[in-house]
Amino acid sequence: MKILVTVKRVPDPETTIRVKPDGSGIVTDNIKYVINPFDEIAIEEALRIKEKLGGSEVVLASIGTKVVTEQLRTGLAMGADRALLVLCDQELDSLAVSRILAKLVERESPQLVLMGKQAIDDDANQAGQMLAAVLDWPQATFASQVQLAADQASVQVLREVDGGLETIGFSLPGIITADLRLNEPRYASLPGIMKARKKEIKEIPVAELGVDITPRLKIHKMDPPVKKIGGKKVETVQQLLDLLHTEAKVI
Amino acid sequence: MDFELLEEQRMLQDTVRRFVRQELLPLEALVLQRDTQGLTGEELLPAEVEERLLAKAKDAGLWGLDVPEEFGGLNLGALPKCLATEELYKTITPFTFPPDAPNLHMLVQTCTPEQRERYLLPYASGAKRSAIAISEPGAGSDPAAMRTTAVKKGDQWVINGRKIWISRAHIADFLIVMALTDKEKRARGGITAFLVDKGTPGLVLQRQIPVIGGHAPWELVFEDLTVPDSQVLGQVGQGFAPMQLRLTVRRLEIGSWCVGHAQRCLEMMVDYAKQRVTFGQRLADRQAIQWFIADSATDIHAARLMTHHGAWKFDQGEDVRQEASMLKVFATEMATRVADRAMQMHGGMGMSKELPLEFMYRRLRPMRIFEGPSEVHRWVIARTLLKD
Ligand SMILES: Cc1cc2nc3c(=O)[nH]c(=O)nc-3n(C[C@H](O)[C@H](O)[C@H](O)COP(=O)(O)OP(=O)(O)OC[C@H]3O[C@@H](n4cnc5c(N)ncnc54)[C@H](O)[C@@H]3O)c2cc1C
Repeated sequence: MKILVTVKRVPDPETTIRVKPDGSGIVTDNIKYVINPFDEIAIEEALRIKEKLGGSEVVLASIGTKVVTEQLRTGLAMGADRALLVLCDQELDSLAVSRILAKLVERESPQLVLMGKQAIDDDANQAGQMLAAVLDWPQATFASQVQLAADQASVQVLREVDGGLETIGFSLPGIITADLRLNEPRYASLPGIMKARKKEIKEIPVAELGVDITPRLKIHKMDPPVKKIGGKKVETVQQLLDLLHTEAKVI
Repeated sequence: MDFELLEEQRMLQDTVRRFVRQELLPLEALVLQRDTQGLTGEELLPAEVEERLLAKAKDAGLWGLDVPEEFGGLNLGALPKCLATEELYKTITPFTFPPDAPNLHMLVQTCTPEQRERYLLPYASGAKRSAIAISEPGAGSDPAAMRTTAVKKGDQWVINGRKIWISRAHIADFLIVMALTDKEKRARGGITAFLVDKGTPGLVLQRQIPVIGGHAPWELVFEDLTVPDSQVLGQVGQGFAPMQLRLTVRRLEIGSWCVGHAQRCLEMMVDYAKQRVTFGQRLADRQAIQWFIADSATDIHAARLMTHHGAWKFDQGEDVRQEASMLKVFATEMATRVADRAMQMHGGMGMSKELPLEFMYRRLRPMRIFEGPSEVHRWVIARTLLKD
């Protein structure tokens, strides 16, 4: 089975993010970048499927400038087989991203596309859904468990939805986006790192794909999140109820 | 000149950083608690926790980083090992990727084919642990003054004497014991290394000595400790040079220990300075505190460059004894300065055993003594420069 996994380069969630004074974006000096954590979960799932089935291939796909090689190399060190990097130095919205990915899917014809449910930088949570629409493929978002049928022709996915869990099934090819509890991604192992050096990262200039990537979306301004103000301690339950009623106005 | 790390060196750094963040940092509270209960050394981590960590490290292939490939390692050299070690020392949770000590370099240089099978291979794979016994009550900084003797009787060697401050002697499967085989020649052809298995009759673990910083080394007595000729490690009388190599490797590693601990202290300083308000102002806005931070960052930068350079030069196959001495002095003293500043600006919290600062401060202290006290290294550096 061929599995395509999408990878986005995002700021390390452990670093402190500062917004530029003019609100035009974030300060990027000295920021460390990592694979979007949900994409890492998607890679892990793909690798587990590959290890179970044998004879499978895991192909990574990313869009960006050459710097993304760093994240792709890490994914290859985790165990993916090869990678595609669409070279593009322009800001892309989710629609443009899904159109580019659709072209890669056409070229590669994977049976399964695994993606993160969202990227932790802009939290748009759209690329997977839009890709499914562009390809007219079935999709299961927010996957917390993936069960491939014995004949590899269909898949059952447990989804975390508001109010509980939902199981859906569809026949392949299809798209699955990974939620936090799907698995615990492995480390890029040291032997894996040494092997990754020799694996292929194919660069594809975005123009070659002939997709319309004109932005439909414009970010006008970024603001840092409001500072959390400390909580308040009260003496009695009655006081708490009063305050919830009069001050917080939630009951 | 190029100061960039290679891509795979950066990736190794990332993997270890993550290992530390996910596996080791969450154990700090436990380590502090056990330290407060008076537990030391290997006891700081419960055995089952250590085993779990070792299994995870093995899965991630974080094993035998500087072990030559022919002995099942990755042969990455000293620089990658230093990068990994620096990350491991950003936490107080005591954990090293096996093998456990730079005795590797001594063994690689000296082992016979038979000793390879019995000692080097299991040591390199982490199955056997080792210790090295050099220091004596009357000979520490000056190991050439040692009095432990090994006398040849037929095809056996009989060892008598006393060693002190021997780390992990009780958990070592084998010891490398340095002994005099020629009282006249001493360091110039009179000191021999021996491989001594644990439990060998005549090897007495006399007493364990509690030491600052969670260490608890041993005093050992050798009473007619007898080993066959096949236990001589390297050439008879030629034990000093391979031992020096081992010490050099450890000194480079100590550089990384210090950079790691100091970096952690600096990160804590930066966080706290922005958060703590006194007299209506953040500590971060006080020049006194800014200088603590600036001086610490500068100190760390210098020590890190010295460590990377020393390790790099070692990997080029060059003699780095002078660099290793400079690094040993500078890094241990700089980390002491940094930890002291960090404790100072944390006030009462800096003194408490609830933060890792006090533990790091204690752990750093003996680093200015073992592997050669600062004064001795300064003397060696100067002596080399002043030689006619
Ligand atoms: C925690 C710990 C673990 C250790 N583990 C081991 C181990 O596993 N194996 C092992 O063999 N040893 C080990 N040691 C021993 C260590 O290497 C010695 O303590 C060290 O070499 C100093 O020797 P000494 O204690 O005899 O001090 P001395 O040699 O007596 O020196 C005392 C002091 O005198 C000064 N001094 C000495 N010589 C000079 C000089 N030439 N010029 C100026 N000043 C000088 C220095 O200030 C020095 O600190 C360990 C020590 C400690 C504390």
